[in-house]
Amino acid sequence: MAKRADSATRRARACQALMDKVHAITATEGINPSTLHAIKLKLVALANRAELFPLNDFAMPIAEARTHPLLIEDDDGHGLYLTISLPGKEAAPHDHGIWCANAAISGRERHDFYRRTDDGKRAGRAEVIKVGEVMVEPGMGMVMADHDIHATEVVSDHPAIGLALYGYALARFPSVSWFHPEFMSVRATASRRHAGDAR
Amino acid sequence: MSDAASIFRVTVRNSERTIDCPSDRTILQAAIASGIDFPYACATGNCATCISRLEAGEVALLPRSDTALGDAQRRSGLTLACRARPLSDVTITWLARSSA
Repeated sequence: MAKRADSATRRARACQALMDKVHAITATEGINPSTLHAIKLKLVALANRAELFPLNDFAMPIAEARTHPLLIEDDDGHGLYLTISLPGKEAAPHDHGIWCANAAISGRERHDFYRRTDDGKRAGRAEVIKVGEVMVEPGMGMVMADHDIHATEVVSDHPAIGLALYGYALARFPSVSWFHPEFMSVRATASRRHAGDAR
Repeated sequence: MSDAASIFRVTVRNSERTIDCPSDRTILQAAIASGIDFPYACATGNCATCISRLEAGEVALLPRSDTALGDAQRRSGLTLACRARPLSDVTITWLARSSA
């Protein structure tokens, strides 16, 4: 029990230190490709400290994917999470409506990146083409701007465990657009930006 | 579709349609291919927009997130059309509407 409390304390300190570094970067330079890259490197450095994230501290998914909050900032702040996804877990091409960075602790998750090629004028219709891919595995990460599009799939034969840092906490996420090349369609999930606000 | 796939009949109550669905396709894929306006968003087991009641029949579920379909929901007869492949003839009713 004492060992678990100790790892939780050290983890909380490390997560706060990461967040402080992220704010130091964005406060002076804002969010742009260069600062997003710097944020990714900070997140990869934290994920490399696997001793801070012992599996015993985090419940495995009941189905195939589970997200554990690590540090959720108040108001419109950032959200840092530990994600566990089992082999085969996938997500269709989507944006987040806000920037995000991922870094692997263990396992391998392939991120395919897409570009939208239609004019967006027909509701519910969209065309996307694959433009690149990154394997997120230990020592590696990826970063996306607000409307970059990626698809994910866990390709290791054991769980992919990683860190995910979002510009907004998941509970205050904007609308997410999901793209389906098979159907040439796009569908959106509702924004949570003001779900908890008094009206 | 693989050569070994079986074809099952899937009835979508909301649209009063019965369609063919191979055992290696999800109910959502078959429904959209048949022109049914089935509600969906992520189509990969993350958002639960396509959550449906499985009225009859059996399905196999592809990987999904805990938050999209809990164990208690699954035991109570709910499923995700985007993750459900038929193991028999199936009758299903979607519970939500989508926003394009």
